Amino acid sequence: MRAASMTAALLCAALPLAACKIVPNPDPEEVAAANMSDEDRMAAWVDENWDARVLPAAEDNRTTWPAFSAALEEGLQPAGEAEGLRPSDNGPWFFFMQGEGQVVEANLDSRARRMELDMDGDGSADIALQLGPVVRGTALRDALPFVSFTDFRDQIEFAKLGRALNDRATANLPELSGDLTGSTVAFTGVFGLNSSAETPMAVPTSLEVRP
Amino acid sequence: MTVTRRIFVAGLGMTAVLPMVQAASAQGKGLIAIITPSHDNPFFKAEAVGAEARAQELGYETLILVHDDDPNKQSEMFDTAIARGAAAIICDNAGADATVAPVQRALDAGIPSFLIDREIKESGIAISQIVSNNYQGAQLGAEEFVFEMEEAGPYVELLGREADTNAGIRSSGYHDIIDQYPDLEMVAQQSANWSQTEAYEKMETILQAQPDIKGVICGNDTMAMGAWAALEAAGRTDVIVVGFDGSNDVRDSILNGGIKATVLQPAYRQAQLAVEQADQYLETGSTGLEEKQLMDCVLINADNAELLETFALQGA
Repeated sequence: MRAASMTAALLCAALPLAACKIVPNPDPEEVAAANMSDEDRMAAWVDENWDARVLPAAEDNRTTWPAFSAALEEGLQPAGEAEGLRPSDNGPWFFFMQGEGQVVEANLDSRARRMELDMDGDGSADIALQLGPVVRGTALRDALPFVSFTDFRDQIEFAKLGRALNDRATANLPELSGDLTGSTVAFTGVFGLNSSAETPMAVPTSLEVRP
Repeated sequence: MTVTRRIFVAGLGMTAVLPMVQAASAQGKGLIAIITPSHDNPFFKAEAVGAEARAQELGYETLILVHDDDPNKQSEMFDTAIARGAAAIICDNAGADATVAPVQRALDAGIPSFLIDREIKESGIAISQIVSNNYQGAQLGAEEFVFEMEEAGPYVELLGREADTNAGIRSSGYHDIIDQYPDLEMVAQQSANWSQTEAYEKMETILQAQPDIKGVICGNDTMAMGAWAALEAAGRTDVIVVGFDGSNDVRDSILNGGIKATVLQPAYRQAQLAVEQADQYLETGSTGLEEKQLMDCVLINADNAELLETFALQGA
């Protein structure tokens, strides 16, 4: 009798416990991230990764104009394998270019400012640099080997990442004014190619107008 | 008598065996269920046709189903595919949130799903999600729109269905470009739910309130066709219309000097790619690719419209 009532009492005591689930306090950083807008969250991503991972990836994969243009003579595929990278199998080949060239033409009045550079001294434009604030495409995002679309919620968040990276790249550029035609410009930048016939249109991650 | 009886028994045996033989030979590599929105929109039809052709080439039977953008209907179709013991499901889905559960259910039943065109809000349950790079495509369309508008004037935006991520992403791509031009003013922004008739009605109403509009940018081609029809009916063929998809209807309109531009999503190829990845997965247990894949879009205007046929650029 006594044992039975003891068991019953123990069971009663244990029941509410069985219904309890221990929930750890949510990680404050995760809560903060969930409450942010996509723009803010992706801007924070860029802040966190720009110096730590983006610039090192650009450095690790960089090529030069002579190496790139020589490889491209053989076709885009061999050029990509030798000098570029292709994080997505269905996508373009990407190249992180470091080089300097002469300004053939510059348009600094548009919302999509750009300059065209002659890289091999023949007087014709070989590459265009997008100077923002409007930057076409997402080459900088898509070229980064450690960034995967699968890791992002959807295209909208992923698009905001592309925009945030482009914004950071163009925000880092120096003030540009006046007629730059004929000036020498040193830069690092990234572009994607789908065919060897395209003129590269790069997003610069650094740029310097040489005196 | 004995002979007759023997023949009779043999005949019985034959009739019993025959259906089994037929079933076995028709089974091939199994069944692929292809689930898309209504084929009224030629875009979805091209997907279904592309997927079916590739699946049959690779030795599969196919089951074509249409969910009409109704998540309940779609859910039933996943159950049909599960009940039929499909080898794989190819799906252009009826909603980013609503599709998570059926894809999970199929996975639990051992059936892999390969999603095209529209993504879902979760990764790790579908094997592939192959979507057009809608953001990149929308930027191309917006740049062309800005150019045609000569960077100024009042315009209207017709949005797609709200539950569809593609509606939001295209709008976001459009505005990332258009909003950089302060003289372009959006005077109305409404959803026409991807529908031609709805776009026609919305455009009629908007024209009454905003008779001075200069352009209309649309989330897809069927809405662009609806808007253009309303503008034509009102004698406003001066209005600049830009769509998204790359349909033959809009191609013809561009070639006839109507709609100005659209953005081609490679729908036919995308559907075929999904089937190829399904086949690879079923044969080897892996596609060898990332789950989520983006395919770039191409701007279509008067310069290249004649190369466009059934959501593919000829000679490209």
